Amino acid sequence: MSSTAIPSLRPVPALRPSARPVAGDAGDAALREITDDVMRPLVTRPGAGWWACFAASTIALTIGVAMVAYEIATGIGVWGLNRTVGWAFDITNFVFWIGIGHAGTLISAILLLLRQRWRTAISRSAEAMTIFAVMCAALFPLIHMGRPWLAFWVMPYPNSRGPLWVNFRSPLLWDVFAINTYLTISLVFWYLGMIPDFATMRDRTTAPVRRFAYSVLSLGWNGSARTWSRYETATTLLAGLATPLVISVHSIVSMDFATSVLPGWHTTLFPPYFVAGAVFSGFGMVMTLLIIVRAVMHLERYITAAHLEAMGKIMLLTGSIVGFAYATELFNAWYSHNVYERYAFLNRLAGPYAWCFWIMVGCNALAPQVLWLRRARRSVPLLFVLSILVNVGMWFERFVIIVTSLHRSYLPSSWTMYRPTIVEVGTLAGSFGLFFTCFLLFIRVLPMIAMWEIKAGAGRAAERRA
Amino acid sequence: MTHDLKFWNRSPERDDSRRDFLARLGFALAASAVASCSRAPVQKAIPFLNKPEEVTPGVASWYATTCAGCAAACPLLVKTRDGRPIKIEGNAESVRFGGGTCAAGQATVLSLYDPNRLRGPLWHGEPASWSEIDARVKPQVAAASRRGIVLLSGTIVSPSTRALIAEWSARFPRFRHVVYDAVSFSALREATHACFGVAAVPHYRFDRAKTVVGIEADFLGTWLSPVEFTRQYADRRREGLSSGGVQHHQFESGVSLTGSNADRRVAIAASEQGAVALALLHRIAADARVAEPLPRVEVAIDDRAIDRAADDLWRDRGRSLVVCGSDDPSTQVVVHAINTLLGNIGVTVDLDAPSLQRQGDDAAVEELIESMNRGDVQVLMTYGVNPLYDFPDAERFARGMESVALSISFADRADETANASHAVCPDHHFLEAWGDAEPIAGSFSLAQPTVAPLFDTRAAQDSLLEWLGKPPDFYSYVREFWRRELFPRQDRSRTFDEFWDRALHDGVYDDSAPRVERRYALAEGWRAAAGAIAADHQRAVSARGPDRYELRLHETVAIRDGRHANNPWLQELPDPVTKLTWGNSIAIAPSVARSIGVATGDVVRVVAGDRSCELPAYVQPGQSPSTVSIALGYGRDGAGKVGNGIGANAFPFVSASAARRAYLRTGVALQRTGRHRELALTQTHHSIEGRSIIRSITLDELLNERSEPAPERPSLWPEREGGEHRWGMAVDLNTCTGCSACVTACQAENNVPVVGPDEVTRSREMHWIRIDRYYDGADDDPGVSFQPMMCQHCQNAPCETVCPVLATVHSSDGINQQIYNRCIGTRYCENNCPYKVRRFNWFQYAGNDRFDFTMNDPLERMVLNPDVVVRSRGVMEKCSLCVQRIQAEKLSAKQEGRTLEDGRIKTACQQACPASAIVFGDLNDPNSEVARLRRSRRHYHVLDELGTRPNVGYLMRVKNAPRGEPEPL
Repeated sequence: MSSTAIPSLRPVPALRPSARPVAGDAGDAALREITDDVMRPLVTRPGAGWWACFAASTIALTIGVAMVAYEIATGIGVWGLNRTVGWAFDITNFVFWIGIGHAGTLISAILLLLRQRWRTAISRSAEAMTIFAVMCAALFPLIHMGRPWLAFWVMPYPNSRGPLWVNFRSPLLWDVFAINTYLTISLVFWYLGMIPDFATMRDRTTAPVRRFAYSVLSLGWNGSARTWSRYETATTLLAGLATPLVISVHSIVSMDFATSVLPGWHTTLFPPYFVAGAVFSGFGMVMTLLIIVRAVMHLERYITAAHLEAMGKIMLLTGSIVGFAYATELFNAWYSHNVYERYAFLNRLAGPYAWCFWIMVGCNALAPQVLWLRRARRSVPLLFVLSILVNVGMWFERFVIIVTSLHRSYLPSSWTMYRPTIVEVGTLAGSFGLFFTCFLLFIRVLPMIAMWEIKAGAGRAAERRA
Repeated sequence: MTHDLKFWNRSPERDDSRRDFLARLGFALAASAVASCSRAPVQKAIPFLNKPEEVTPGVASWYATTCAGCAAACPLLVKTRDGRPIKIEGNAESVRFGGGTCAAGQATVLSLYDPNRLRGPLWHGEPASWSEIDARVKPQVAAASRRGIVLLSGTIVSPSTRALIAEWSARFPRFRHVVYDAVSFSALREATHACFGVAAVPHYRFDRAKTVVGIEADFLGTWLSPVEFTRQYADRRREGLSSGGVQHHQFESGVSLTGSNADRRVAIAASEQGAVALALLHRIAADARVAEPLPRVEVAIDDRAIDRAADDLWRDRGRSLVVCGSDDPSTQVVVHAINTLLGNIGVTVDLDAPSLQRQGDDAAVEELIESMNRGDVQVLMTYGVNPLYDFPDAERFARGMESVALSISFADRADETANASHAVCPDHHFLEAWGDAEPIAGSFSLAQPTVAPLFDTRAAQDSLLEWLGKPPDFYSYVREFWRRELFPRQDRSRTFDEFWDRALHDGVYDDSAPRVERRYALAEGWRAAAGAIAADHQRAVSARGPDRYELRLHETVAIRDGRHANNPWLQELPDPVTKLTWGNSIAIAPSVARSIGVATGDVVRVVAGDRSCELPAYVQPGQSPSTVSIALGYGRDGAGKVGNGIGANAFPFVSASAARRAYLRTGVALQRTGRHRELALTQTHHSIEGRSIIRSITLDELLNERSEPAPERPSLWPEREGGEHRWGMAVDLNTCTGCSACVTACQAENNVPVVGPDEVTRSREMHWIRIDRYYDGADDDPGVSFQPMMCQHCQNAPCETVCPVLATVHSSDGINQQIYNRCIGTRYCENNCPYKVRRFNWFQYAGNDRFDFTMNDPLERMVLNPDVVVRSRGVMEKCSLCVQRIQAEKLSAKQEGRTLEDGRIKTACQQACPASAIVFGDLNDPNSEVARLRRSRRHYHVLDELGTRPNVGYLMRVKNAPRGEPEPL
C-alpha cells in the first residue's frame, strides 16, 4: 500500500543480524524491515566480493562465447566427438542444466500447491535459477547441431515444401516442445510472482528511469483486494500448470535415451530416474547458491538453517532414489542375461571410464547418506560441501550414461575412446559463466526473496499470535 | 494512483495511436522482408556450339582399357562423364580377370588428377619444351657408340612396347633393356627356367585346386595377380559349397590377407620358408615313392601342420597347388619339385601360357649398377621405376647415375629418381595413353585414352619412337603391331579395321591359336637345391639368438611398392589386417611385445646391420614370435604433398647381393625409444566379444542338415507398405577375402572425402563401407574373420524414428534415405544406429585448405561423380545403396521400354569386388539372385535380435575340417 507522498530512499542503517528469524512461519518483524533487507542489494553499491565473482563469471562467459563462436564457424570437429560417440559434453551439459532447473519449479510450484510455507524465502531465487539454467540448457541443443543456422527447422511451421512437417516421433522434437514450454511457463510464473514486488520497488524509487522500468514491469499494480484475489488465483493456476512440468520435462529429456536401442540407454527406468536425479541436482545447486548468497547478503534471517535442513531432506530422499535406480539398473543388466546389456554395465563398473562411474556413485548415492544425521543436516559447511559434490556427481552421471553407452555398443569394431577438447571444456565453463553472470545480476537488480510472500507470512503469523 | 497512469496517458492530438502503431509495424515488416530478399547468384551455362559426338552432358561413356596400377595389367572399363574419367571398373568381358578390381586399381583414377604430376618436361630441373629435350637427347643417343644405352624399366607387359624396345636393340648395338621390379620375382623366374626351361613366372590356376598351400605368398592381396587369383579362389570356395570343401594352408611369418583367409595358418620364421618347402617335399617324395633320400632339416614348427598340409596335397594330387613368395631360387626349385611330384604341372601350374607379369632380373640390375659405376653407361632411361627410392642400396645407384652422361626419367612427377636425372620426360597417365598388354601369354588387352592428355606430357613410347628417328605416334605403332602379329592369327574378323574395332570395344582379346601343351619333367637340380636350403637354414638358425629377430618386408594392399604413396584414397584405406592408415609400423608378436615391454604405438628402432629405422610398433596377434614385419612403400620424399614423410622407408633393409635381392633379414635387433605415437587405426578393438555377429557353419551342417530359417520375430511396428521393388543386398562371408576394393570403389563413386591421419586417429574416417576384422582364439594363433559393414537399410530403422527433421526416411523401395539438404546435424541417428555405419561431416572437407587431399584443388575435383552431391559441413551421410545407379538404370529401362532385369544394377562395391561376394538386387523378385540367397540356409542378419529387419543380409562362412579332425572354432 502506498501513501500519496512518495517516500524517498532513506539511508538504511547497517544491518544487525537479528537473533530472531524473520521467515514467514516464525517471528514477526516490521514489514518495512523486510523490504529494507531484501531491497538493500538493489540500492547499494556491490562490494568487492560481488565484483570478484562477477569478474570471474564474465571471464568464463567470454571464454564460452569465444569457444562457441569458434565451433560454429569451424565445425563440430573442434570437439572431441567421433563416428561412434556422437554426443558427449554437449548433451551431458544440456541434461545437467535442465535437471538443475527442476528444483526451482518444484519449490515454486509443487510446494506452493502443497502449502509448504517455508518455501517462500527461497522460491524466488530458486525460480530465477531455473530460468537461467533452462537458458543455459537450451543453448546446447542449438550449438550441438551441425548446421545451427537451420535450427528453426525443428519448428512445425507452415511451408511450401509439401508442407514438410517435423518428425513427431523423435524425442529430440519432444525436447523442443518440452523445453520451450518449460521456459515459457517458468518465465511467466517467475514474472508473475514478482509483480507485487515490482510495485513495491516502484513506490520506493525516485530515479526516473528505474521508476519507469518498475512501473512498466508492475503492470499498474494497485494492491487492491480484488487485484490480490485475482492474483492468488492466477498464481495458483500457473502453479498447477507448472507442476506437471517437473515430471514431464525431464521425463521427455530422458526419452532421448530411453527410446533408443543402445544398451545402457534403452530402459523404461529412465523417466522416474531422471526426474528424481533432476530434483536432486537442482536442490544441490539451489543449496550451493543460497548458502553463498545468504552469507554474503546477510539474509540469514530469511533463509534459515531450517530451510537448509528441509532442502537437505529432499536431497536425501532424491539421492536415495537415484542410488536405488543405479542398483536397479545393475540388477536388470545381470538378470536380463543380455550379453550387450551386461557388457554395458560391466564396462561402466570396470572399463576405461570406471573412474567417472565411481565418482558418480560416491557423490550421488553414498555422500548424501550422511544427511540421516540431524547434526549433518544442520551444519551449513557440510551442506555446502555436499551440494558441490552432488553437482559434480550428477554431471558425471549424465556423462557416464551418454559416453559409456555410446563408445562401446553393439559391434566391437567401432569401439573407440572419447576425449574432450579444450573447446568443449571452455563451452562448459562458459555455461557456468552465463549462469552465474545472470544470477549475480539477478541478485543485484531484482529482489531475490519474495517480499510480498514473506510479508504475507509474517502477517499471518502476527494474526495467529494476536 | 494517478502517478501510475500518467505514463500511460497519451497526449490529445495523438489519438490514432493504435493505427499508427500498426502502420509502423507493417512498414517495418515489409521493409525488412524486401531488404532480405536476394537474388540467387548468376551461374553461366555455355552450351556447345558444335557438340562433340561422344560427349552428351549427363550421359556417361565407357571405354575399355588396361590398368597400370601394378604389373598385373587387369582389363578395365572406365566411366567418363563430360570427357573425363571418373570411375574405374573391371572389364567383365575378360574371362580370366572378371569384372573386379583391386583397391589400388580403383584409386588410379584419382592419380590422373594428381596436382603433383609434372605439367611438362624438365631439363636439369627447369621447364623445357619437347623440341628442346629432343634436340639434346637425340645427338647423345646417336653418339652412344662406345658407351652403352640402357633402358631400365619395370615389367613391361605391353607387346607393342616390347617390340619397340626390340627395335632399339636392333638399331643400337650397345643398347640393353634391364627389367627391375621393386619387389622382385627374380628367384621364381630363375627357378622356373632352371627346372622347366621356361624363363617366366608360371600362371597359377587357383580355381582348379582343391588344396592350396601358400608359403609366404600373399596371393589374395599383393602377390603377382591378386584380382585374378581372388576371383579363382572365390569361385573355388563357391563350388566347394556343394562338393567337397577346398583346403587352404598358409605358412607365413606375418599375418597377411591371404593367411587370414586360410583354413589353417601356421606362423613360421621368415627364414624358414625353404625349410617348410623342404619338409613338404620330404613327405610328398615319400608318398610319391621317390627313392633317394633328401637332406633333412628341423623346422621349429609343429610337425602335424606340415603333415596335414602334405596329406591334403597328396590326397588332391593333380588338383592341388603350392605357391611360394620366397626370394631364394633354391626354395622355388623345391616348390616346383613338389608341384611336379603332385602332378600339378599343366593343371594348376600353367607353363604353356605363363604369366608375363613379373620379368625383373635381379642379376641384370646388379650388373647395371656395376657398369654405371665403371662409367660404361652413356644414356640411362628410367621408365616406370624409382630405384633411388626402392633400391636397397640407393646411394650406390645414385653414385652410378652420376657417371651417366645423360639420364632421362619418364616419371610422371619429380620423384626421387627424376630429381637426380638430367631430363624428365613425363609419361602420360595410363588413362591418357594408347597401349596394349599381354599379362598372360596369349591373353591380350588394349589400352586407349579416356581423356586427352591433361598436361604437356608425352607417352614414353612416343619419346622412344622420336629418338629412334620415327614418327612419334605410338597409336599407329600399336595398330601396326596388332595388324602384323595378331590379326593374322585369328579368323573371326575379315578386315583389320573390324578386328581392331571389336578388340577396342571389348578391351580384351584372347589368342585363339591352338595351345601347345608340352610335358614338363623336372630337371635334376632339385636335389642340389634341397641341399642349399638345408645349408641356408643352418646359417639362419645359428644367426638366431636372444633378442635377435628376423625381419620380413612385405607390400601392403594399398600402397604396394610405394608408387601409390601420393594417392590419398590409398593412404587412407585401412590395411585389411592391421586397419592401419597413413603409415607403416613394425608388426610384433604379442609374446615378444610383452617381453620387451612395448605396446601398440610405442616407437621402436629396428637395427639390421648398418641399417636402422624407427617406427611405431603394432602388436599383431598371430605374428611369428621370431619375426617382425614392416611394410614397404612408405617413407618417400619425392611422392608429392600427400605421400611425403608418411611412414618410414623399409627398402634399405632389403639385402642386395650380386645374384638376387632378399626381402628378409636375420639378426635384427629391436630397441625401445620411449616415445609413443598414436597410430591412425580405424579399428582399435579386435575381439568379437562372443557376439554372434559373424556366424559360420560347417560343411556337414550345410550339406546334411535341413532346417527352416528362423521365423521373423514379432514386431510392434506396423508392416511397412512396400513399393514395386525392395532393394536388398547379400554379402557372402565365405568368399569375401577382406581385400577392401569395395571401400575405395565406394569412395570413388560417392565422393566420400579423405580426412587425413589426424582425423582418422580421432576415429572420424568417412568410409561408407568398412571391413571389420576380428580375431578369435589364442593370441599366437588366432582365427581371423572379415565382415564388410555398410548401412543395413533396416525396414525398422532405429535412425529414422529419431531424426527431428525427417532427414532420414525410408523409401517405398526399401532404401533408408539420407536427405543431405534437410539434415541439421543433431547426430541422434548416428547414436541410435546399432551398426555404427553413419558418418558425420565434422568439418568442411571440400574446398578447405585444412583438408588438402581430394576436394580442394580444382584438378582433384575433376574426379568427383556429378551424380552424387558433395556434402557440406554438419551433415550426416551413409551408404545409399548407390541410389544414383538405381535411378539411372530405372530411367534407362523406362526410356527403352523394358523391365528391370536382375543384375543390371550393380552397386559400386558389388561391381568392384573381385570375389563377387556382394550381391545386390530386388528382394521383391523371387527369382533374383539376392532373393534366392536370402532363402539359403546360410543367410542371416547381423543383430537381428534387435528387430531392425535389415535389407542387407550375410551368408555364413563355411568352415572346413580335414577328415577325421574336430571342427576348428
